[in-house]
Amino acid sequence: MSSAIDTLKRTFSDVWESVETGWQRVRAQAADALTRFRRGTRRTEPAHVQGDLPAPVWGLLASDVIEDDRRVIVRVEVPGMSRDDLDLQVIGDALVVSGEKRYESDDVHGQWRVRQCAYGAFRRMIPLPVPVRADEAKATCRDGVLRVELPKREPGAPRAFRLKVK
Amino acid sequence: MTETRSNVPAETRRDDPVLLPPVDIVEDDTGITVYADLPGVPKDKLAVRVDRESLTIEGEISFGLPEKMDAVLAEVQAPRYRRSFTLSRELDTDKCDAVFKDGVLKLRIPKVEHAKPRRIEVKVG
Repeated sequence: MSSAIDTLKRTFSDVWESVETGWQRVRAQAADALTRFRRGTRRTEPAHVQGDLPAPVWGLLASDVIEDDRRVIVRVEVPGMSRDDLDLQVIGDALVVSGEKRYESDDVHGQWRVRQCAYGAFRRMIPLPVPVRADEAKATCRDGVLRVELPKREPGAPRAFRLKVK
Repeated sequence: MTETRSNVPAETRRDDPVLLPPVDIVEDDTGITVYADLPGVPKDKLAVRVDRESLTIEGEISFGLPEKMDAVLAEVQAPRYRRSFTLSRELDTDKCDAVFKDGVLKLRIPKVEHAKPRRIEVKVG
């Protein structure tokens, strides 16, 4: 009887290990999209909603970086945020996107039943593939997606180097 | 209100992968309010289907990708969002109200009259 339980335990721990490995891999792949939300400078809790559900501190803000021979285009998901909630800077070879997602200051009352959306302030650093002219960059925000177009300092097709494996 | 995982109507079932949008749900005495993050979905590509028993939120992500561009980093893989819920019978699905702004859907579904708590006036005789 006890050996059956041991087998069960071992099986369980094997399963758990593979789940854990899988999770770590997913996490490593999505690490850039996984964004931490801190308490913002403005209201981060709706005033009249009660309940035990904790506010999520991690949000998934997926981003894309694409380029052609003239420009680099960065897209970041920023649901619930508009132009005024966002701040953009080019620092070194990265685009730094900071923002704050606020609860709309409306009259929602009641109890949390499901709570999955992250609110508060965040900062994302998105590496740029080539040097850009930050002063000529253009940014738009539409349907909860930020789009930043940055002209390349030296126009040219995306570079790729083929490496030989010896 | 509970989430439905498997019984997606056959006509909307497709083989392509879907993203599950995160939601907030707040309940009060008079109804529920659902918030769903759907970044990248334009208003005309959002479909909210409500019937007596279920709510399905579906949105197609529109990129407007310029052609001949190479993706250096592409984290957005699935082109659509979909999430379904089974609704409690105390909700009055004929009176839903939806607002969609900056990629966030706000949906208000009121409770039917008899499900709302009533205040009974007590008169002192």
